[in-house]
Amino acid sequence: MVEHVVDSWRPLAAVLISAVAIALIVASHRRPNVREAWSVLASVGKFAIVASMLPGVLDGTEYRWSLGMVPGLDSEFVFGVEFALRADALGMLFALLASFLWIFTAFYSAGYMRGLDEPNQTRFFASFAASLSAAIGIAFAENLVTIFVFYELLSVATYPLVAHDETDEARAAGRKYLAYTFFGGGFLVLAGTALVFVLTDTTTFGATAADLAEADPALARAAFGLLAAGFGVKAGLMPLHSWLPDAMVAPTPVSGLLHAVAVVKSGAFGVARVVLEVFEPDLVGELGVGLALAAVAAFTLTAASIIALRADRLKRRLAFSTVSQLSYIVLGLGLAGPAAVAGSGTKTVIIGGLLHIPAHAFMKLTLFFCAGFIHVETHTDYISEMDGIAKRMPLTMAAFAVAAAGMAGIPLVAGFVSKWFLLIGAVEANQAIFAVVLLLSGVLNIAYFWPIVYGAFFESHDDADSKPLIEFPLGGRASGGASAGEPEAVADGGAADDAHDDDAAATDEHQEGGHHDTADHEHAGHAVHSDDQHEDHDHHGGPPPGGWERAGWTGAEGSWLMLGPILVIVAGAVVLGVVPYQAVFLELIEVIAEGVVG
Amino acid sequence: MSELLPALLIVLPIVGATLPLGVGLLRENVGWSIAALVLSVEGGLAAWLATAVYGGEGAARIVHVLGGETFGRRGATENFVVGIELVADAFSGLMVLLVAGVALGVLAFARRGGPRGNAFYSGYLLLTGGLMGLFLTGDLFNLFVFLEIVGLTTYGLVASDRDAESAVAALKYLVIGTTGASLYLLGVGYLFLRTGALNMVDVSRSLAGEPEWIDGALYGDPLVLAAFGFIAVGLMTKAAIYPLHTWQPDAYAAAPDAVTVYISALVSTGGAYAFARVTWTVFTPEFFAVGQNARILELVIVLACLSVVLGSGLAAMQRRLKRLFAYSSVSQFGLIVIGVCVAVHPAGGTQATQLAVYGVVIHLLGHGLIKGGLFATVGALAHGTGARRVREYAGLAKRRPFLSGSIAVLGLAIVGVPPTIGFLGKWYLAVGALNTELWPVIFVVFASTLLTLLYVARLLETLYFDGPAEGAAPAAGPEPEGPGAPGGADDAVMTDGAGSLSYGMIALAVSAAVLTVLLGFAGSALTDATQPIAQAVIEAAPEVGADG
Repeated sequence: MVEHVVDSWRPLAAVLISAVAIALIVASHRRPNVREAWSVLASVGKFAIVASMLPGVLDGTEYRWSLGMVPGLDSEFVFGVEFALRADALGMLFALLASFLWIFTAFYSAGYMRGLDEPNQTRFFASFAASLSAAIGIAFAENLVTIFVFYELLSVATYPLVAHDETDEARAAGRKYLAYTFFGGGFLVLAGTALVFVLTDTTTFGATAADLAEADPALARAAFGLLAAGFGVKAGLMPLHSWLPDAMVAPTPVSGLLHAVAVVKSGAFGVARVVLEVFEPDLVGELGVGLALAAVAAFTLTAASIIALRADRLKRRLAFSTVSQLSYIVLGLGLAGPAAVAGSGTKTVIIGGLLHIPAHAFMKLTLFFCAGFIHVETHTDYISEMDGIAKRMPLTMAAFAVAAAGMAGIPLVAGFVSKWFLLIGAVEANQAIFAVVLLLSGVLNIAYFWPIVYGAFFESHDDADSKPLIEFPLGGRASGGASAGEPEAVADGGAADDAHDDDAAATDEHQEGGHHDTADHEHAGHAVHSDDQHEDHDHHGGPPPGGWERAGWTGAEGSWLMLGPILVIVAGAVVLGVVPYQAVFLELIEVIAEGVVG
Repeated sequence: MSELLPALLIVLPIVGATLPLGVGLLRENVGWSIAALVLSVEGGLAAWLATAVYGGEGAARIVHVLGGETFGRRGATENFVVGIELVADAFSGLMVLLVAGVALGVLAFARRGGPRGNAFYSGYLLLTGGLMGLFLTGDLFNLFVFLEIVGLTTYGLVASDRDAESAVAALKYLVIGTTGASLYLLGVGYLFLRTGALNMVDVSRSLAGEPEWIDGALYGDPLVLAAFGFIAVGLMTKAAIYPLHTWQPDAYAAAPDAVTVYISALVSTGGAYAFARVTWTVFTPEFFAVGQNARILELVIVLACLSVVLGSGLAAMQRRLKRLFAYSSVSQFGLIVIGVCVAVHPAGGTQATQLAVYGVVIHLLGHGLIKGGLFATVGALAHGTGARRVREYAGLAKRRPFLSGSIAVLGLAIVGVPPTIGFLGKWYLAVGALNTELWPVIFVVFASTLLTLLYVARLLETLYFDGPAEGAAPAAGPEPEGPGAPGGADDAVMTDGAGSLSYGMIALAVSAAVLTVLLGFAGSALTDATQPIAQAVIEAAPEVGADG
């Protein structure tokens, strides 16, 4: 494969098109239809620009733009570092994914925001477009400083979306988000970038590994740790993950595209750049940091799944699922180090990790869109109120079931393919323990998704089995409690040992939703899902008095503005699972892996 | 011709300062027009000087000897310059541009924002002249004179509201500021005792032991070390470094808005510039490489680190905007002083010096621009809505989108979010510090991002996500203004709140924000302009740039 670099304005255009859209969106704030049209146009245009570079990139051409191409400007941004964008295969993977999914999210957001009659919609759409600009900038950044620029801008642009509701809860989540992401970006990534620059006099991807190999190993490890942790904040690596579940207070399109795709994957993508191009797998393996990263990822993906078991609010469960699934990607990348040392499986784990970026994106976006659609149509947010909901929203829940199956790694859906590569790769790299963790995680995935699907399709609201995992307090009931008559043991007693913050998480959630009078929640241990709870609800969730009404399978369940995107994206997830080689992503990833491994 | 420029830049505003008072005897309210005229010419001269300095290859060093050649011939028997040298080099050239720009910009604010009256404009022009002198002088004693001119006019301007609060603030500033200047003078006296020279280049050469009557380098001399101590403490007082910062929040908060904009952008900058100039040009890295001299530098670094941390912490605790940003300056100048010290610290190599010098110069410029812009925006919001406290900012973003946008951009710039000039300064300071491997200092520099975020994020959240709090809405009554302020708001562009918001104020705030971002892309131009300074510090050469 011949690699050559072409000067082109296209990478910049891909970044700026939605930045231009911001101005147009703000300018047409009085005319919502025009405003949403700008969003859609920008998303289509962005995808078109990105896609136009795809054939070239697959043939080994890289499109490069630098500040020096602007007349009168020098390309140097800070001393010794250029401000440059380069569309290479890895960047294309992320850019293609984000811009493609934005198209559907643009439609879906219009339906969602109007369906709920949300305030501040102009700010919402403007920030959304800004976030996408920053995300594409991250994808195409040619060096660590440029990626840092966009990484920070992404934090800034997403903040208004998290705090969108302007409630105390939303603002607290926004504060937490800013604190975490600036700790990750402005402190950790900046320090790591500066350290790499000091050690190697450059920060360009692919040009640093040789110098880093000769540097003091302690400093090189520190640089890796800073960068991996800094990008890990956005990728939801424990223990820096806790902004993500809180950020679910944002409107669902944000949770979907940004907090399952663009923002969190910018973190995973940053880790990919660091592992594959700043340090390169050989050095990552030699320094021993790959194994450490993989261990953190393995812990995260297990612990997050266990916490997800107990989350009653659907979006919160999905958030912990995201935390868990993102760690698949990081796990694959981390294993690249030990695999390079072992001399086998490097390519496989890299392919598995990277393929999970699009795979998870399609599946998780479907799940979030379903959750948002359910919220818009029925104002139901809690899993304990969703029994029998498939009667009311059959297509939605079918899509949900397919995506959930993919999450668990069931064949024919996208999640299987990436997980397969990861499993094989882990064994090839002599790290079979991680394969065990992956299998265990699959079981846990089923454990937290199956009750939702089962409840939705096979139970009805007034005739549902109990849900011991979410209903019972950790550590058992206090004696003499309101329901002392129930003899059951606490089903997830084992889980409590593994995930201490689970307890707090579950409690918080109930407070947040105004779901309960929390004063005696932990001790009285009353049943969560019982009917009399509904009087307390602020949000009037759950089925109407007569039970869910039946809607047909022809889309009578709600607006096609929202249902359409759900179906398209879940179809995408299936396509990725059935014919992965025809769905461009795997081809692209093989180009990347060959570039890295050679 | 360009040799005359340094003198003209100083003389023009000082002579011009007599005009508002003089003409004011005949006509009222001519101050603004005269100041605008004088400062426009001054701006032209500054631009001319900048082209002369940076226009050629490398950076020129333009020297003007007051009193002429006969009086100050170099190379005569004594080998010292007797007359006062004014020097425009790569360092002072940038600062002169900043002063000229800010002076003009603040006029746009003061047109409606006050304070009014011819006396104010006399003081304003005098202050501009003093600052020009501060940045252009090449003489240690003359630097003291200009420090005092700047100090005294600032005390006067701070008090120009003529209320009790500003009088107390000005008095406090007077006492502390004069003490600082005196300490500086003591240090200069010690140097004079030991070397017999006052010209910066001559003192520097004497310390290096170049003249034949000096027996070797004087770097180990206790008198010289003491001189550095006095000078450092004196100038750190002027730059408001913890724990010598206490004058600053009071002065900034009590001064009229236009004055706050001006002094926040330039006066502490002058102190920090003087510290950098004396440390780099007079003492040079060689001084600190001798014996235990680096310890005194580390002492300064410790204070500067404290300044960064405590300044941000105190800023986060403030309720009034102007005090908040005043403490923010304490923290930012801490960063700058860290950079000044890192540049000459023996632990760092040439790369540390080069990058730290970039950082100091760019952050001096950037901070002046950003902080001036922030105070202008805060002042404009106060004039437009009467809001002066953080909680009164609740929901203001919907009423004042442009000013709120400026606060957001400038606030993020001070945090160091790219692509802004605030990021460039912080990047160079951080990378420079990293080269010295002084780990605690490095930690403080990187952590300053988060510390700054503490108060900026709180402000932005209030501004954008708080609904207007009931009862907290500010009284619509006009803020205390100068005695000459007319009550009428006949041609005010906005009518709510205090009603004296002008397009000039909005334009100033927005252009500061825009410039902050644009300069974020001018990294290479800025480093090119700064390179001669870095080169001079690396070579321990007392003269920056080619000899003019």
